[in-house]
Amino acid sequence: MTAGIRVQDLAKAYDARPVFRGLSLDVAPGEFVALLGPSGAGKTTLLRCMTRSLDADRGQIWLAGHAMHELRNGALASARRDIGFVFQQFNLVQRRSALENALAGRLASVPLWRILSGRYERGDLRAAEHALARVGLRDRSQTRADCLSGGQQQRVAIARALVQGSKVLLADEPVASLDPRSARDVLGIMRSIAHDDGLAVLCSLHQHDLAAEYADRVVAIGDLLRPVGRPS
Amino acid sequence: MSDRVDDRSAAAGELYSGGRTWLRPRLRPGLVLLLLVAGGWFCFHFAEVDLQRLVRGLPRLASWAARSWPPDFSDLQTLLTRAAETLAMATLGTSLGALIALPLCVLAARNTSHDLTYLAARTVLNGLRGIDSFVFALLFVAAVGLGPFAGVLGIGIHSAGSIAKLWSETIEDAAPGPVEAASLTGASKAKIIVFALLPDVLPAMISGLLYIWEFNVRSSTVLGIVGAGGIGQELKNNIDLLDFPRVFAIILVILAMVTAIDRAGAVIRRRLS
Repeated sequence: MTAGIRVQDLAKAYDARPVFRGLSLDVAPGEFVALLGPSGAGKTTLLRCMTRSLDADRGQIWLAGHAMHELRNGALASARRDIGFVFQQFNLVQRRSALENALAGRLASVPLWRILSGRYERGDLRAAEHALARVGLRDRSQTRADCLSGGQQQRVAIARALVQGSKVLLADEPVASLDPRSARDVLGIMRSIAHDDGLAVLCSLHQHDLAAEYADRVVAIGDLLRPVGRPS
Repeated sequence: MSDRVDDRSAAAGELYSGGRTWLRPRLRPGLVLLLLVAGGWFCFHFAEVDLQRLVRGLPRLASWAARSWPPDFSDLQTLLTRAAETLAMATLGTSLGALIALPLCVLAARNTSHDLTYLAARTVLNGLRGIDSFVFALLFVAAVGLGPFAGVLGIGIHSAGSIAKLWSETIEDAAPGPVEAASLTGASKAKIIVFALLPDVLPAMISGLLYIWEFNVRSSTVLGIVGAGGIGQELKNNIDLLDFPRVFAIILVILAMVTAIDRAGAVIRRRLS
């Protein structure tokens, strides 16, 4: 069991066509690891297997101390509260404000009537405002998600993971849809989350230069996740 | 490369003919034409279409039209009260339908339901849609007596099926991303639907509901014929009395009401979009 991320001997195939086999990976708390690989290499499949959005064929996954491969239903939902996820396409609720989207991180603990009425507890609101300020969006908290730029939307998605209080952060190509400057902003925030908050961060990328610049460690999925380099 | 293209064309050709080559492509248009003619003859035969009867009836219709001028608006108050009854019947019926449709649409959408509940919900709403509000109103007139209340129930039960189908398809078309993100926070299904799905689909749901309301206002004018009240009942009574100026006035009131409702619906929909 580990407080960070541990994947052991993971295998997944689609219609008998293997995506990966015997895949093992460790990310320690406070470490920012970049997962490199070309499109179709299985990075998204690996991350989806880790959250159990997809079931792997074989192997063990531990995230923030939870044996994800053993969990079902309520126990799985409960474990997911400790796992933040950032998507390539942000996946924000477009008609909600940045603040409400950040509050999504507290969905599991907020009563249904508060969501329906939009009357959130002061503590939750403060956490969301603090998270938005941390990603540089304090002044855009009341702006609807569909009025934000791609980079700003991705920062709201990171704020959502922060409000969730997750111990592990998984990111699936979070900068693939962003301009170079926004990409650097987002990766900088993710690195600070790993270093300052002690989260284990695993981030799939396909830009070698960005991975080398921001990550503590770079692993290539095509090489069964053996380390291929450590930035100086 | 060209071999590959040829292979694909051959495969597409096989698919097009369902994998069989029993009919030459040149003969296909002829077969389609033959089927259309046979289908048309079948429909004419069973619908007892008789142009001679139409020609014999036209002068009678013309004489009624001539006798209906000028329209009789002498008791406009009654006509407006009856029109208000029809409008209230359609509005309450649509609201009742929407209430019933709300849980049904979630169960009848593939992305928010399980296979078995999806099938069960789809069967229920197909049953509700399959029986017209006219038939339901007939049954409710027998159960709760004459008057608009029977119409409200008839419209409500039938509309529930239509609204639920419309809404479930809207839910199925919703972007899956926000729902996936919300589900990865460990939230319950109800919270995910309310937080991540509803804001995305609500405008389309309201727009669909307005369409059903407009349709119900139009269709509820006929419900009076089975004793469910409203301006339809006034229309039937006056046709029975052969009071054509009055019938013409009623038709004009119905047209004005339906046009006003259509306009109102269009304005609200434009604001929503």
